[in-house]
Amino acid sequence: MSVAADTIPAKPRRRLPGNVRIKAFAYLLVAPAILLICGLVAYPFLFAIWVSFTDMVVGSVGNFVGFKNFEYLAGTATFYSAIWNTIVIVLVSDVLKLGIGLGLALLVHQNLPGRGIFRSFLMLPWAMPAFVAFLTWRVLYQPIGGGINLILTQTGLYPEVVDFLGSRSTAMGSVIVASVWRGFPFWFISILAALQSVPKELYEAAIVDGASTWQRFWNVTIPSLMPVIIVTTLLSSIWTANGFEHVWLLTAGGPSDATMVFPVLAYYGMQTQRIGEAAAVSVYMLPVLGILVIFATSLMMRREE
Amino acid sequence: MATLAEVASAAPAGSASAQRRLIIARIVSYGLLAVAVILVLFPIYWMVITSLKLPREIYRVPALWPQTFTLANFDKLLADGSFLLAIRNSAIVATTVTVISVIISSFAAYSMVRFRYRFRGVFGRLILFAYLTPGSLLFIPLSIVMAQLRLGNSLQGLILVYLTFSLPLSTWLLQGYFRGVPRELEEQGMIDGLTRFGALIRITLPLSAPGLAAVAIFTFTGAWNELLFALVLTTSESVRTAPLALNYLITSDVLPWGPLMAGAVISSVPLMILYFVAQRFMVAGMAEGAVKG
Repeated sequence: MSVAADTIPAKPRRRLPGNVRIKAFAYLLVAPAILLICGLVAYPFLFAIWVSFTDMVVGSVGNFVGFKNFEYLAGTATFYSAIWNTIVIVLVSDVLKLGIGLGLALLVHQNLPGRGIFRSFLMLPWAMPAFVAFLTWRVLYQPIGGGINLILTQTGLYPEVVDFLGSRSTAMGSVIVASVWRGFPFWFISILAALQSVPKELYEAAIVDGASTWQRFWNVTIPSLMPVIIVTTLLSSIWTANGFEHVWLLTAGGPSDATMVFPVLAYYGMQTQRIGEAAAVSVYMLPVLGILVIFATSLMMRREE
Repeated sequence: MATLAEVASAAPAGSASAQRRLIIARIVSYGLLAVAVILVLFPIYWMVITSLKLPREIYRVPALWPQTFTLANFDKLLADGSFLLAIRNSAIVATTVTVISVIISSFAAYSMVRFRYRFRGVFGRLILFAYLTPGSLLFIPLSIVMAQLRLGNSLQGLILVYLTFSLPLSTWLLQGYFRGVPRELEEQGMIDGLTRFGALIRITLPLSAPGLAAVAIFTFTGAWNELLFALVLTTSESVRTAPLALNYLITSDVLPWGPLMAGAVISSVPLMILYFVAQRFMVAGMAEGAVKG
């Protein structure tokens, strides 16, 4: 719009005297949010990058040390565990959440009587506080007092008691199951909303053209869902890669780094007061994360227009 | 739509085989949904049932149904008052963040939707970046900044920090809702003597009530749930929030599952009530955020 008006509608009413006032009003309204975001997000973000290049510890300002923190981290085994585990958690849990969310959304999208009740129940894990969900799973996984071992042994599905969170072979899988349980409703509801907004005419046209059910699914449903699936994948990957609660409350990164991820590693760095190194852990994630965020931002901005 | 029911309905209506396929499709669908619902409910059931069990039943004779129900775990958790204090702190923080965030973000969203000015695009991008900047990047620098502002280890500090995630999301979501309010209504109001600010307060905000509700609930929930910032920013017990109080229960040597699950139940209650009262708004808002953007 190239009309010389400050409000979006191009109304040729006597606006000019108030022009500056309207602009000032607009800036005044947006200022608190922008100032807070600059102070509490943008500045700390840049500050974190600076800190990662210093030897800051609690109570000292720290000196510039170049890439020393990054080199130090790259020499530790824990760091490589964190890289690998973060990739595994993001990939496996997002694929599972997509599969479960899509499947359940398709089921609920049918005109089944009672689908509203199913939808309400399926959303429950998301309505629970995350810390409650993961503490509950921690109890569920216990060898003594845990519901999963109880069911496995009593039904005879698996005779031995498993220390799900305490052994290296099962810890990661257990963390993933719990975070899928808590995270799938977001996918479910996003996909369901997208399904409901697919124009009926597309299906009717496909039927007229003689498309089979599978052809309609692959050529109408999936392409219509693609934009939502891409945005959801990006958002979910960013959140999962930076999730702290699920690992911290279930395993705290153990046993022996089997579930160590970046945010938990950074938190441990913070606890040992070596702030420079802790910040370097976070900053290591930036390149990959930055790409995801820029990609997500431009997709979301574009669809907003 | 390639759903099972439509496979059936695509066949000639009234034919016996179509009928049969429809019934089978229904049974399969209900079966799958029932399994999903059971998997969703079981952990919640376990949380509640563990909170109501005696210690000996939790540790020695685990069973799906307790022999005796007891409120002993709740008594034990609440005995010294520290958990109630944590719940109170959580309520204060979450409510304050919600009020501040809704006000500031609705002003910002309104400004960006209704006016054109030079930095509008930059602001929009900044807000979206801030929304997607993860807390795990910010907790280290924010803890230093809060210490410098002498707001470390205080509820005020937590409130300020929680605005980092609530403001961007709220502003982003509210922009979508405000766009749906017809500009003509505001202009009508202004002809009738309202100022622009009056039009925002009297016309746009009431018409965006579902959006405001969604945003308020998301903000409250986010603040109520937050663990990492609270863990880093607070040290003394007097400013612990509910997630922190429970976190410290499991870092002790003896793991008190009963009281822990009692705390989990109590912490869930406010959010569950919110969910059942306002599900409509939450689901719409959630879909809005990711789907329509």
